[in-house]
Amino acid sequence: MAHLHDCWHCGAKDAASLFCRYCNTIQAPTPDYFEFFDMPRRLAVNAEDLKGRFYTLSRLLHPDRYTRRSEQERRFSLEASSILNDAYRVLKDPIQRAEYVLRQEGFTVGDQRNKDVPPELLEEVFELNMALDELRGGDLEVLPQLEVMRRDFLEMLAAIDRELEAMFARHDAAPPESRKQVLGEIRSALNRRRYISNLVQEVDKQLTARNA
Amino acid sequence: MAYSDKVLDHYNNPRNVGSLDKKDPNVGTGLVGAPECGDVMKLQIKVNPETGIIEDAKFKTFGCGSAIASSSLATELIKGKTVDEAMQLRNTVIVNELSLPPVKIHCSVLAEDAIKAAIEDYKKKAGVPAGAAQTA
Repeated sequence: MAHLHDCWHCGAKDAASLFCRYCNTIQAPTPDYFEFFDMPRRLAVNAEDLKGRFYTLSRLLHPDRYTRRSEQERRFSLEASSILNDAYRVLKDPIQRAEYVLRQEGFTVGDQRNKDVPPELLEEVFELNMALDELRGGDLEVLPQLEVMRRDFLEMLAAIDRELEAMFARHDAAPPESRKQVLGEIRSALNRRRYISNLVQEVDKQLTARNA
Repeated sequence: MAYSDKVLDHYNNPRNVGSLDKKDPNVGTGLVGAPECGDVMKLQIKVNPETGIIEDAKFKTFGCGSAIASSSLATELIKGKTVDEAMQLRNTVIVNELSLPPVKIHCSVLAEDAIKAAIEDYKKKAGVPAGAAQTA
């Protein structure tokens, strides 16, 4: 559902999203990533399809094609190319895509005061921090333990990713009025995911510092 | 953002760092965390079962200076108090004492949560038959 407006060039009514469908002139680009790619607002996205759209639009919008056009067209092509790259980066990544939709729907993402960390996870997080502390203090005996924990956390991430995939499908299939609820669940899962992925990064940082 | 002198003092010389025996029936353990900043705080109390007075308190916190200072101060505040008095402690006391800025208030909330969790754990242990005690 692309947002249509009158073409700035030929004046055709409701004729234009990225290009006017009558005179084919480039238009002021929409900032909405889904509209930009002319895709339905769904959380599940076919990566190949998205990639195809990206390459096609990259070609069509490339500033090199507009060097001999009017200033207006050159500006639109620059703007559109920049949105295109941002949109592709966000939509091709399931996490960023979900966060984008959440923000669009008025959710805050990455709120400090959420309490989405399950208590049983805290124990592991605490142990992990203890081990990291010991490693920083030069105790190499914790290395095998850290490796095990790292694997545990990676498995948790994989499990959350599977959960997310199922939630995306539920969101896309739900009628608009019940989507908010699914989005709330998705946000919780994303918060848990971010928490764990920060921990993994911290472990990786410490481990590479050791191996360097 | 600059830390207040009191935060720095607790951060550089934290009081009561360490741990108590989790299996001791008179010890309550509270483990709480703030997901976004990655803080995790463990606070333990050792209660005299006769008097209900918190005789010892220990903590170990991984997190920012304010989180460490909040839990350090929390252990100081509850030592010598009864369990019921400690339960009344509000995070605002910590905020005022440490002059925490608004963005760090959640650290004091975490400390309050940790105290409550430790007390609940102790009460759970005291209330159930020995051996069935669990920590969350």
